Amino acid sequence: MNAFLLQYLPIVIFFAIATVLGLGFMIAAAVMAPSAPDAEKNSAYECGFNAFDDARMKFDVRFYLVSILFIIFDLEVAFLFPWAVSLFGMPHDKMVYAFVSMMVFLGVLTVGFIYEWKKGALEWE
Amino acid sequence: MSPQTLVTILVFAPLLGAIVAGLFGRRIGHVPSMAVTTGLLFLSCLIAWINFVANFNGAPKFLVELLPFIQIGDFQSTWSIRVDTLSSVMLVVVTSVSALVHLYSWGYMAEDDSKPRFFAYLSLFTFAMLALVTANDFMQLFFGWEGVGLASYLLIGFWFKKPTANAAAIKAFVVNRVGDFGFALGIMTVFWMFHTIRFDQLFPLIPSMLNKGWDFAGQHWSALDLAGALLFVGAMGKSAQFFLHTWLPDAMEGPTPVSALIHAATMVTAGVYMVCLLSPIYEHAPVARDIVIMIGAITSLFAATVGLAQNDIKRVIAYSTCSQLGYMFIAAGVGAYQAGMFHLFTHAFFKALLFLGAGSVIHAMHHEQDMRAMGALRKKIPVTWAVMMIGTIAITGLGIPEIMGHGLGFAGFYSKDGILEAAYKAGLSNPTANFGFLVGLAVAGLTAFYSWRLIFMTFEGKPKWGAHPHDDHAGHHAQIESHSEPDTHGHDDHGHGHGHTPHESPWVMLVPLLVLSVGAIAAGFVFAPYFIGEDHDAFWRGAIFVSANNHVLNEMELPAWVTWSPLAVSVLGLLVACYFYLLKPELPPRIAAQKGPIWTFLYNKWFFDEIYDFIFVKGAKLLGDLFWKVGDQKLIDGLGPNGFARASLEGGKRVAKVQTGYVYHYAFVMLLGVLGLLSYGIWLAS
Amino acid sequence: MMTDLSSALMICLPELILAVGAMLVLMLGAFGGERSTGAATMFSGAALIAGAFAAALGPHGTLFAGAFHMDQLAAYSKVAIYVASAFAVVMGYGWMNRSNERKFEYPVLILLATLGMSMMVSAGDLISLYISIELQSLALYILAAFQRDDARASEAGLKYFVLGALSSGILLYGISLVYGFAGSMGFTQIAHAIAAGGANHGVVFGLVFLICGVAFKASAAPFHMWTPDVYEGAPTPVVAFVAAAPKLAAMVLFVRTLSMGFFGAHEQWAQVLLVIAVISFVVGAFGGLMQRDVKRLLAYSSIANIGYALLGIAAGTQLGVQAMLVFMVLYMIDVTGFFACLLALARNGRPITQISDLSGLKGSKPGIALAITALSLSVLGMPPFSGFWAKFYVFKSAFDAGLWQIAIAGLVASVVAAFYYLRMIKIMWFDASPAPVDGSPSEARWIAFACALFSFPVVLIALHFLDQSAGLAAASLGLH
Repeated sequence: MNAFLLQYLPIVIFFAIATVLGLGFMIAAAVMAPSAPDAEKNSAYECGFNAFDDARMKFDVRFYLVSILFIIFDLEVAFLFPWAVSLFGMPHDKMVYAFVSMMVFLGVLTVGFIYEWKKGALEWE
Repeated sequence: MSPQTLVTILVFAPLLGAIVAGLFGRRIGHVPSMAVTTGLLFLSCLIAWINFVANFNGAPKFLVELLPFIQIGDFQSTWSIRVDTLSSVMLVVVTSVSALVHLYSWGYMAEDDSKPRFFAYLSLFTFAMLALVTANDFMQLFFGWEGVGLASYLLIGFWFKKPTANAAAIKAFVVNRVGDFGFALGIMTVFWMFHTIRFDQLFPLIPSMLNKGWDFAGQHWSALDLAGALLFVGAMGKSAQFFLHTWLPDAMEGPTPVSALIHAATMVTAGVYMVCLLSPIYEHAPVARDIVIMIGAITSLFAATVGLAQNDIKRVIAYSTCSQLGYMFIAAGVGAYQAGMFHLFTHAFFKALLFLGAGSVIHAMHHEQDMRAMGALRKKIPVTWAVMMIGTIAITGLGIPEIMGHGLGFAGFYSKDGILEAAYKAGLSNPTANFGFLVGLAVAGLTAFYSWRLIFMTFEGKPKWGAHPHDDHAGHHAQIESHSEPDTHGHDDHGHGHGHTPHESPWVMLVPLLVLSVGAIAAGFVFAPYFIGEDHDAFWRGAIFVSANNHVLNEMELPAWVTWSPLAVSVLGLLVACYFYLLKPELPPRIAAQKGPIWTFLYNKWFFDEIYDFIFVKGAKLLGDLFWKVGDQKLIDGLGPNGFARASLEGGKRVAKVQTGYVYHYAFVMLLGVLGLLSYGIWLAS
Repeated sequence: MMTDLSSALMICLPELILAVGAMLVLMLGAFGGERSTGAATMFSGAALIAGAFAAALGPHGTLFAGAFHMDQLAAYSKVAIYVASAFAVVMGYGWMNRSNERKFEYPVLILLATLGMSMMVSAGDLISLYISIELQSLALYILAAFQRDDARASEAGLKYFVLGALSSGILLYGISLVYGFAGSMGFTQIAHAIAAGGANHGVVFGLVFLICGVAFKASAAPFHMWTPDVYEGAPTPVVAFVAAAPKLAAMVLFVRTLSMGFFGAHEQWAQVLLVIAVISFVVGAFGGLMQRDVKRLLAYSSIANIGYALLGIAAGTQLGVQAMLVFMVLYMIDVTGFFACLLALARNGRPITQISDLSGLKGSKPGIALAITALSLSVLGMPPFSGFWAKFYVFKSAFDAGLWQIAIAGLVASVVAAFYYLRMIKIMWFDASPAPVDGSPSEARWIAFACALFSFPVVLIALHFLDQSAGLAAASLGLH
């Protein structure tokens, strides 16, 4: 066992505690809790009625589309923050370089945006 | 024109003919393709004789280098034409016989539908043979060697619709591969020893390699002996020597002109030619030479004995060829290369004559080849009878020794006696040569017997061609030579009915016979002094190397019995044949019917085909089955390709199974991968 | 900083052209609607070609505090990627016209993905590495699900996205670990840190995660699971695009990251890469055996080929990198041709995707059958086709680096994989055709023929130049 692996010892301990704790509660519940099942207790609801259909249902793929498109621009914004913060701390030539780079990046994104717009990805109906 | 240009034309004229007749024969028709090939062959023949005469008159030897063939480091081979006495003799033999056979085939093949193909093959063969005899290095020699083998294969199987012809062609090809394997090993040995395969560079180097060799099993093995023996294996294949002889009798399935040209006069003598050409090697390889003598002697004895009992006219001559080739090897083996070449030369004339004569008989008999169905043909085909008589006298070596200096007789007399005398002289110091001499003597008698038997059965006695006696062996030894499609072929007057009267052949067939008769009569008388007589040094002029202690051709007083015994055994053979086939013609069928052990042994050719079939064909099949069913299918396929394929398919299924299509499975595999790689990476790092 | 801004902009001019071009085309489409698809396509193609020229001829240098490298390696890869993308734009336009789904977003997305790849091959620190990978991937996810109404395409896109997100998570985790242990994001600083402190466990830990994340983008096993499904489901021109350019980009990213930042840990990452390579070509070879769909088959083929290319990287030598670069470009050409062939084939208006549908193609479409045959032979590595040279290069570099066991395993795998290419050829040439095939669109046919011709015989001429420029590119990494 070398020093390198010793660095990971806390994690191992953490995993061990987590395992012991988790298993301990589950086993305790199984062993100690009183259990007297009957048909009524096991039915879907002790009151009310059975479900009409599956709780999972299909919904429109456009939701995904919109969420994916959102993520792209969300990341773009997330990328802009550190850039904006560090841009003006740079020497002049690097600042110009960084500015141009980001403009190119935004340009590429814009091209993508125009494409999705023209393809009608943003129209709901 | 310079001699160089002339010999180039000589060599390539047959190739041109083969190309014209082979590729365009169908377009230009039968007669033009026959005319082109035959004409070009006669041109070659004329040039060959001009060249021979020039050489005879002392023109120097020369070399025409045409094109580079293979040039890899020391391994240099060039397409070239080497002209010296040795090749001049061969050029004359090859082109003369070939030209005459071309001419003869006009008549013999008159009924065939594929004449252009036939003539193209003949010319192609001639070209390959010329390339062989004019080679200046082993590669071209090998090229010609394989070329004549190919042509021989094509011509034996010329009537490819006949299963027996196909089988014979394949047999000839396969048996020759065995010989070629040895030949190739021999060439490699030579190249390994000398780093050259050019004859003119190789021969001067040989004395420096005399002691090269290995000590193995307490014995010193000379590398030259090894090379000589391996090269001789090639010669055995091509010249149908004992063990590798089985293809030659079967090769008689080809048309008779082919038998005359390839399987009697030229191709089969290539082995003899090669041994004589390589005399510088063999002169320094005594063990290899002993092997040559042994194999030659055994072959000549074996083939002569088998020849005694055969009934098919072509097979008798085929075995006779085999036997005479054995003679030539005896000559080469004892060091009398000149005598071997001389016998090759004379044999070409009288054996081609005999074959073409037999072809004429077969033609007359409407493609009957069984001699038991002939008889009394002398009156019907007198010209054929006359030339066959000449050929037989020549081959049996009838002649009177010790008159007019060299004696007097037909061609075979001189060459055969030359061989026997050389063998006797060599035998004084070498027991193997002695064996060769004794066997040669015995074979001379046997040769006389079967040759006269052939004449008597065919031309004398009572005619048997009215009714057709069947061979009790279901007639499979007496081949009936049939043209391409016997059933559909339009035989106007050449039907297979045996009731027809035999008739003399047309003049186009008789002329070659007459020309060859002249050769068979006079070749020995005219050329003996130059080939083996007192002028042989001036004639050969170094084309054949003879070492300083080789005196087999030198003049020497021989005991009288040596000089006279060949004639004696020959006459004895003649008398025995007379007794059996003229005086008591009812005796031989009775002997055959008894099926005595000796007769059966000879009739079945010493059971060679059966033994080979059992050992090699069945054995190879067994071995092949073993390798195929156990080695290949179970082991190699089962564990190799098929097993691998099965495993791959299983793997594929597994991988496909993992690919479930559920995202969480995929993610799980990924996480597993991460985990695995992580463990591996950390394990590596620590 | 301001003084050299103009020269800095020149250095990243190709990316600027693409970025501005993409936004302009987007605006053009936004205002012009579907009618402007043709114009958008032409404009995008022009932007890509202009970008290719800018990349080939523009100045080299390092920008943004080492975050962006423009060197021979980047130039070589960019040219190849842009050209491949231009082909994808052309093929996609024809395909959209035929399926009556003209959307100007297609070329825009291709442009954006290409921009991402272009930055991948230039990435010089972990942040730009991550950003560029994400830019590329997000565009590809959308492209994969381009046919929104097609269930399989949507499934493919979703799977790609979910697994891609997982891999991005892995990648990001690896990056944070490396940052934590090496104390820097830049490759050069990381290299210094490793040189100073050696490759400690933490760095290797993070590096493996990093490798896993990138391996997903290159579709190397065991992170390949998305590949067959996406290839099968996504539209063919999109697959043609996904199969070619992003692979090269990911491989170059691998090379640059590993050899510039982590060469000190070569022993570790080479081994990890070798494991990935072996698993890749084994899975690729065996997985393809049972496939019936041509596109799935090609997916496995691409997995296997990435495995081979990884061998070149794992070799860790300049020759290895050069081999990988040559291999990838030749493979890109083959695979583009393959998909062009598929685009060119349809029966009764429906695209041919099953292997069995190819049967009898020699009768109905001999030209395409010939092209597929040439490309198959090339991909399976038959000399003298281009694939043979590609494989020859990587295997040779692996042999030279002493990885002969792995190279032999790769050879065995490629023999197994040969089966499925040969089966395709057999079905095309020897099986009977069930029904006639539609006429093929000219642009796909021509691209197919051009690629097939490149695989043979043009490659014999081009290989020399390719080899030379790949050699220069590999040299820019400063390896040995």
